[in-house]
Amino acid sequence: MPEALAAPTTNGKMLILVVEKDPHVRELEAHFLGEAGFSVAFVADGQSALEQARERLPDIIITEILVPKLDGLALCRQLKADPTTRGISVLVFSILAASGRAREAGADAFLMKPLAEHRLITAVQGLLALRHSPPPESSP
Amino acid sequence: MSATPPSEPSSPKEGLSRVPTGNAQLDAILGGGFPAHSINIIMGEPGSGKTILAERLIFANAHDSERPILYLTTLSEPLEKVVHYLQQFDFYDEEKLTSGAILYESIAQELNERGIAALVPKLKEVIKTLSPRIIVIDSFKAIHDLSTSVPEMRRMLYEVSGLLTAYATTAFLVGEYSEEQISTFPEFAVADGMVELARKKHGIRDERYLRVLKLRGSHYMEGLHAFRITSRGLDVFPRLTSPEVPHSYTIRETRLPTGVVGLDRMLQGGVWAGSSTLLEGRTGAGKTTLALQFILEGLKRGEPSLYVNFQENPTQLARTIRSMGWELEDALRKGLHLIYASPVELQIDSILLELFRTLEEKNVKRVVVDAVGDLIGAASDLPRLFSYLYALAQHFTVKRVASVMTMETSSLGANPMEGQISAMSDTILSLQVERRDNHFRRTLQIVKARGTNHDLNMHELRITAQGVEVE
Repeated sequence: MPEALAAPTTNGKMLILVVEKDPHVRELEAHFLGEAGFSVAFVADGQSALEQARERLPDIIITEILVPKLDGLALCRQLKADPTTRGISVLVFSILAASGRAREAGADAFLMKPLAEHRLITAVQGLLALRHSPPPESSP
Repeated sequence: MSATPPSEPSSPKEGLSRVPTGNAQLDAILGGGFPAHSINIIMGEPGSGKTILAERLIFANAHDSERPILYLTTLSEPLEKVVHYLQQFDFYDEEKLTSGAILYESIAQELNERGIAALVPKLKEVIKTLSPRIIVIDSFKAIHDLSTSVPEMRRMLYEVSGLLTAYATTAFLVGEYSEEQISTFPEFAVADGMVELARKKHGIRDERYLRVLKLRGSHYMEGLHAFRITSRGLDVFPRLTSPEVPHSYTIRETRLPTGVVGLDRMLQGGVWAGSSTLLEGRTGAGKTTLALQFILEGLKRGEPSLYVNFQENPTQLARTIRSMGWELEDALRKGLHLIYASPVELQIDSILLELFRTLEEKNVKRVVVDAVGDLIGAASDLPRLFSYLYALAQHFTVKRVASVMTMETSSLGANPMEGQISAMSDTILSLQVERRDNHFRRTLQIVKARGTNHDLNMHELRITAQGVEVE
C-alpha cells in the first residue's frame, strides 16, 4: 500500500471493519489484512456493523451478504444513506455471485469468495486509492 | 465498482472455473477438469494409479512459486520414495520443483506426534505462509486410519472442509478407499468430487477403469472409462456414447457400390451411405475377401477407407490384397488407412479411440471391422461391448460412413450377441459353404436390407483372381 494514501486512524494503521460469521474466513482475513498493514475489527452481524461503523468510522467495511440481523446489502444501503457513514468504502465479499445487486446497493466494490489474498488486498488498495485520489475536476 | 476485477463472475453459472488434469480425455470426462476451489477424493486400491493421476495434475498446473502447488505426504509412503518414482514419468520437470512451483512436504512426524489433530493447524500454517493454489494430501486414508473415534474424525473433517472452502484452493484427498467405504466414511460427505480408479482381472491381462462417482455442480461422463498407465501418466479412453441423431436425418441419400457387380444388382445399386452391413458366415466363406473388395471399391472411387482387423498383420494383409490385384503401397496412397491390433493385446477402448481419430482426421467414407468376434472374445463385459457397437454404428450413421462388420458363425452354436448385432445392422449378408455330393460351393444370400426391395435368392459366390464374383 503506498504510504501517501494512508490516513492513519488506529495505531497509525487504516481500520477495516469486517462483517463475517465464518470462523475460517475471519481467521484468514485477520491474518492477510494484518500482514498487509491494516488494523482489523470483526463483527458477526449487520446490525452490530452499523453501530460500529457510526461509532468508529472505519476506512473500509468488508461485508458478506449472508449475515444475521441486517444483511450485507441492506447494511450497505443504510451506510450510504447516512451522511455520517457515507464516506466509508464498502467492499461486498460474498459467497453469492451478486456484483450487480452490490452495485445497486451502493457498494464500492465486489469480490466473490473464496478468499485469495492477492485479490482481496488488491481490491482494498484499489478502494483506498479511490478515497484519496483528487476530485476529477482538479486532475491535470 | 471500479475495483471489481474483470474476471469476477456475475452469475453462479459463470463461476465454475476448472483445474485441468493434464490429460485431454480425462478433462473431457470431467466436463473440462475438476471444478476450481473444490474438495476431491481420488480413490482406489494400492497400485491403481491414484498418485500418478495426482502427480500428472500438479505438473500440468504448476506455473509459479507465488501460488504454488503443495503435495503433502502422510504415513503411507516416505517422501523420498514418492519423489524418486516421480522422476520416471515424461511429465516430470525438475524446474518446477527447484523453482518452488511444486512443493513436496511430509507431515508424517506431526501426525505421529499429535494424531489427526495435527492436520488443521498444519493446513492453516501452509495456507498463511505458502498460499497454495492446489493442495494434495496423499494418503488421506492413512489419516483416517489414525483417528480414534468417528466423532473425532467428523470434527476434524468439519474443520478441514471449512478451511479449504474459505480459502481459494483446490484440494485432492488421495486414498486407498473401497466402494463400500463411500457410505460410511465421513470424508465422502464433504467431497465435492470423487474419482475411482479400479483394476479388473481379465484372463491373463488386467483391465483398468476410471469412474467419476460425483462432481458437484458439473456435468460429467458417467460409466467406466478404460485407461492404461504409461510414461505419460494415465492414457484414458472415454467410454463411447451414442451421438444425438437429428430427427429429420435420413441415411437414404446415396448408394455405395460394393465392388461386387452381382451383389450390387441384388441390392439395387449397393449399400446406403451411412448404413451398417453385417457379413456373417463360417470360416472360408469369403467374408474378408468381400469386405476388402468393398474397401478397394471405395479407393477406386476416391473415398478414404479404413480397415480395422485383428487377425492379419500388415505383411499378411499386403499378401491378401496382392492376390486381389492391388499393391498395399498403392492402396495406402489412394486413401487406405489400417488399424491392426493383435487379439491377444486387444483393448477395445484404445482401438475405438484410434478408430474415431482416423475417421475425423481422414474423412473416412467406408470402414470395415474384421471381425467383430475378436472384439467379443476380448471383451470382459459383453453388455458394455454391445453398447459400444451400438454407439459405434450410430456414429457411423451420423458421419455418413458406410460400415461393414464381419462375424464368424459356427456349427457349435450362435455367437454371444449375434442376435443383438443382427438387429442393429441395416443389411445382413449370409455367406455359406454348401456341400453337394463331394462338391463344395460358396453362396451368398441377403437376409435383410432395410429400405431396399432386395433379391431373396441364394446366389453362388466365387473367389477369383479379381476378388469376389456373385452370379
